[in-house]
Amino acid sequence: MHEEGTKAPVIEVRGLTRRFGSRVAVDGLDLTLAAGGCLGLLGPNGAGKSTTVRILSTLLRPTAGEARVLGLDPVADGARLRARIGVVPQDLALYEQLSAAENLAFFARLHGRTGAALDAAVANGLALSGLAERAADRVKTFSGGMKRRLNVAVALVNEPELVFLDEPTVGIDPQSRERIFEMVAALRARGTALVYTSHQLGEVERLCDRIVILDRGRKVAEGTLAELQAHPRVQRRGTAVLRFGSTGEARTALELVERAGAACALEEDQPGLERIFLDLTGRALRDEGEGS
Amino acid sequence: MRAWVLARKDLQVYFRDRVAVLLGFGLPIALATVFAGAMGAIGGGDSVGRVELVVEDRDQSDASRALVEELGRSDGLRLDVLEPGSADTARERVASGDAPAGLSIGAGFADALAKGVELPLVLARDPGKVIEQQIIAGNLIPAFFGALGDALGPRMGARVLETLDFPLVGRERAQTILDDTWQRMESLVGDIEDADEAPADGDPAKRSDEGGASGDFDFATAVGSVLGLQVEDVVGGGEHAELQKRAQQANAVAGMAVMMLLFGLVHCGGTLLQEEADGTLDRLRLAPGSASSILFGKVLFSWIVGLSQLVVLFAYGAALFDVPVLRAPLALFVHSAAVAAAVTGFGVLFAVLARSQKQLEGLSTLVVLTMSALGGSWWPLSITPDWYQFLGHFTLNAWAMDGYQGIFWYEKGLSGILPEIGVLVAIAAVAVFLALRLFERRMSVR
Repeated sequence: MHEEGTKAPVIEVRGLTRRFGSRVAVDGLDLTLAAGGCLGLLGPNGAGKSTTVRILSTLLRPTAGEARVLGLDPVADGARLRARIGVVPQDLALYEQLSAAENLAFFARLHGRTGAALDAAVANGLALSGLAERAADRVKTFSGGMKRRLNVAVALVNEPELVFLDEPTVGIDPQSRERIFEMVAALRARGTALVYTSHQLGEVERLCDRIVILDRGRKVAEGTLAELQAHPRVQRRGTAVLRFGSTGEARTALELVERAGAACALEEDQPGLERIFLDLTGRALRDEGEGS
Repeated sequence: MRAWVLARKDLQVYFRDRVAVLLGFGLPIALATVFAGAMGAIGGGDSVGRVELVVEDRDQSDASRALVEELGRSDGLRLDVLEPGSADTARERVASGDAPAGLSIGAGFADALAKGVELPLVLARDPGKVIEQQIIAGNLIPAFFGALGDALGPRMGARVLETLDFPLVGRERAQTILDDTWQRMESLVGDIEDADEAPADGDPAKRSDEGGASGDFDFATAVGSVLGLQVEDVVGGGEHAELQKRAQQANAVAGMAVMMLLFGLVHCGGTLLQEEADGTLDRLRLAPGSASSILFGKVLFSWIVGLSQLVVLFAYGAALFDVPVLRAPLALFVHSAAVAAAVTGFGVLFAVLARSQKQLEGLSTLVVLTMSALGGSWWPLSITPDWYQFLGHFTLNAWAMDGYQGIFWYEKGLSGILPEIGVLVAIAAVAVFLALRLFERRMSVR
């Protein structure tokens, strides 16, 4: 576990820029992430989210700007930094011919775990990802959701102080997504700082306490959800919601309001598809991959 | 019309893939060049492959010098004449695998020739080099006739009859007929030479074809009897035909082993590209440790796989083809380890050079097949032109084959094949070093 109460920011970025030829992927980005916080990077495809993650996780050199991650320079102190961070890549990065336990053990060994520490890392990873019962099965027999969960668990074998999650829930079932959210919540509970990129607005809203919106490599807005809601470029409309026991009563009320000259409309309560799906299928994980 | 539209699309796609175009056109050209070169078709007739014959003249008479001179004029022979008084002998040179055959002209050769008694001529041969013996035999006949025809000719008939085991009854009459024929042939040859229409001697392919008598007749051995040579197989220590068979089998197993190992280990090296495509390479980069440790992991993995493949293959060869793997087990293991290391180096270097699996497959097919043909995996280098043999030793195949032949055929121990092992280890070191530099550059944070 990590030391609580560290005041220094986990990430400090000033004027971060990355060019690929004439194309600017990240353009003068400023970022700060406090210890134990969760920063959401939101943006459409090509906004520069993954490039930012690759720079901060030591895989890419910035063209310009300064970055300090856990107090270290990602370029100059790459080796030291890599031992303290975890990265969940956007694409699955697993050895499909190996089992879940073998994948976890391999990466734990690379991080220097041996003996009891190695066993503990594997057991934790399996428990966290909900794959203990499929520990000995080859990954190639897993469903997409199971692979995604293992993909996250592998990044955590070294108990990192900071975890980058680059769109970790792409293309999976709601149950597995919920499990990944639980994994993220568990990380937050133990004080691990997180950078979470997604273009799923609901995920970022749910998981992150601070949000940065990127577009074409530039920061468009930053703040908590409340701060973003108060952003001057976000239009706010007053909406009164009145609930009636029946549709007939609602129509009568509507007529009265219309006579008063206000715009109004009748909206019946329609649950979203996600709520319908989860209500109908439950929240239990479905781990019935090809090999089961 | 629709067919043309489809074909045009495929042509556009094909020609935009430069690697595919390079392979489609380059591979046949490269292989055709190698084949043609091996068969001596490049550079005109002068560069046709010559087979080495070591000559040791201990008589130093006019007759012996005339014979050596005539042998030197043979188009199919590359003469290596030992200095008079040299401690080296033709027999030793052949026994050590330096040459396929050696002719020793003993002291008293001229006297024996004049007296018509048995000539002190010994042809030391390496029976494992079957093709070379045919070529040598085919070139000895015209050279002997050219230099010693007047003295040998009249006695040739008797030797031919003896070689053919002609019945004693009637042998005298047959001898008279052959002597008469000899006179006629001499006259005919004179006429042909006068007309400047004499066929060039020493055409190896032609000679060996002519000599390739059917049945059990061994042209290369019969030539010794006909010319009055004492023929001695100085390598192998067994019955001639069995020796040839064993040598060819050992050669084939070693040649194929090296070529297939190259293909296999290029594939092993290719797992590096697979990791890149699967995203696991980035995960490895994110773990503590240097880029070089990732590459060394691949080198170690490929080397273990390669050495295991060789062990299995030679065990199979021993069981089925009597490849003598227990003759020098330590030498065989160390040499195989060096071969696997050199091949591993190549495999990893290719994997680092290529940017995709497709490029790797194309590059490896081109280079492995060319190296195998150049390096003696497909045919003995000793029957190829000098330049070909020179180029061949820039491939690891040639050094690997030399080492295996040294162990299996020339009964050399570890000390006898140290040069080959040294070269292979050097190839491995250079290839791994280059791969490492390229990989570190590719993996550096950029």
